Amino acid sequence: MNFILHIICVIAMTLPNILGFNLIFGKGKIFHFGPIGVSLIAAYASFLTLNATGSYLVAIAIGSTFALLASALFAWLSFRLDPDGLGILSIAAHLAIINVVLNWSSFTGGAMGIPKIPRMPYLDSLPTFTITVSTIAICWIIFLFVLEHSAFGRQLQALAEHEWYAKALGINRIRIHMIAFFIGGIGALLTNIFYHQYIHLVYLSDFGYPVFIYFVMIVVAGRPGSVLGVTLSTILIVTLKEAVRFIPLPSHILGPVRLLIFGVILLAAVWVQRDSLFPKKRTI
Amino acid sequence: MPLLSVSHLSLTLNAQQILKNVTFDVDQGEVVGLIGPNGSGKTTLFNVLSGFLKPTHGTVHLREADITHVSPAQRAKLGIGRVFQNFGIFREMTLEENVLVALEALPKEQRMLLGDLREVVRGTLDMVGLSHQGKKKAGSLSGGQMRLLEIARTLKSGKELFLLDEPTAGVSPKMTKQVADLIAELKKEGKTVLIIEHDLPFISRICDRVLVLDVGEVVLNGKPGEIKHDKKLQEIYFGADPTA
Ligand SMILES: Nc1ncnc2c1ncn2[C@@H]1O[C@H](COP(=O)(O)OP(=O)(O)O)[C@@H](O)[C@H]1O
Ligand SMILES: [Mg+2]
Repeated sequence: MNFILHIICVIAMTLPNILGFNLIFGKGKIFHFGPIGVSLIAAYASFLTLNATGSYLVAIAIGSTFALLASALFAWLSFRLDPDGLGILSIAAHLAIINVVLNWSSFTGGAMGIPKIPRMPYLDSLPTFTITVSTIAICWIIFLFVLEHSAFGRQLQALAEHEWYAKALGINRIRIHMIAFFIGGIGALLTNIFYHQYIHLVYLSDFGYPVFIYFVMIVVAGRPGSVLGVTLSTILIVTLKEAVRFIPLPSHILGPVRLLIFGVILLAAVWVQRDSLFPKKRTI
Repeated sequence: MPLLSVSHLSLTLNAQQILKNVTFDVDQGEVVGLIGPNGSGKTTLFNVLSGFLKPTHGTVHLREADITHVSPAQRAKLGIGRVFQNFGIFREMTLEENVLVALEALPKEQRMLLGDLREVVRGTLDMVGLSHQGKKKAGSLSGGQMRLLEIARTLKSGKELFLLDEPTAGVSPKMTKQVADLIAELKKEGKTVLIIEHDLPFISRICDRVLVLDVGEVVLNGKPGEIKHDKKLQEIYFGADPTA
């Protein structure tokens, strides 16, 4: 029973960040490869503040401010660079953020992370935790589903299909993309505020590059841009990932096996979606 | 006062001068043809007029306001509508969404005047005989249907100045007539049209005036009847006359 609640919690906690990233990368086709960098900043800002003040309210306020600032940074990069440049530079920015956190250990705790994170008072039991994060996840899914089918969603898709055609209709790219990045930032905050309470720890290796690959895999497998598809693929892949833990194999074999399984899923998903993944280049 | 006023426009890209001192006016309600050989800079001129390329020299004025440094999206809001040479239609979106996205991009005051946008979408699709295909992806349309949809969408979103880049290119002969009729409709509604075309009889029939562009320069500017027999036009289109 606890195991099922655990899986539900992990799915519900993963969804906000994944669906935010799906809005930017899946729907907007923006080569933003730094969503985990935004997560990292949101998590450290929140929980360092929590340690200093003891107040979740202040922690969330500071955490969301930093999540939005980090999102604005990546958005700004996306306005300055062409897609390939953005892809490379956003990876570099993510790695740079990791290195700052790693080396500024007097402030961030370095590789040890931030231990002994207390949960919000009413989140102490697993059932209440599950209900809370599930409710938030469902609200977030509904919000993004409505957004996908709104004027904003259409404008984001138009920009993704052909930037010039979209602009010639009067669509303001800066405004639309900025909103997408901010929603991604809020998603990152929601995921991180709960995930680190759940494991009582902020741990630097939770923000490594493999986590980003995992995100891309879920988005691609669920059909990029589709809120329902990506929700479904999150449920399936998180369940698979958590279930693999219980295969009776020594951990030095289990790790590579897990990577192998995900590698195969990613390859298969990219193959199936090869025609729709990225817009075909068209001239004017 | 002219609706559009282009003065001393030059553009250099990669050390190549593509537009040279281009100067002309277009009056409100005028239909002006823009002709010239392939590579003479017609599409590039449209890119400057719609704001995608910044000129090296010169200015563009719309209703006497200098818009040389105004963004493409802002120009669209000021009433410039562009119809692209390779169909400015979003192929992964449905026909309805293709119209809706254009209406939703209008400035708020203008959008309010339209009333129920879904009604306007239906009217737009009706106008070009595509209302029964509203839920289909636009990628499934023929070239002619895409062109009709794009022009109708631009018309229904209240644009004043139309930049039509080879509207009959990629359109079947059967549909060309329909596209021509729709352009005639623009004229009837008092819209101002700048149209790039290769079909000279078509241009003479529909245009009040013709500009001829050659290697980035305006070499002729006059009524279709006047320029039709001009030696320069003969040279550009048929090579120098050996008997001359
Ligand atoms: N972005 C660009 N960079 C460099 N050269 C360009 C660019 N766009 C167009 N050109 C060149 O400008 C010239 C005019 O092209 P274009 O305006 O497309 O001609 P037209 O529409 O009259 O056939 C061509 O020689 C073309 O190669
Ligand atoms: Mg051209």
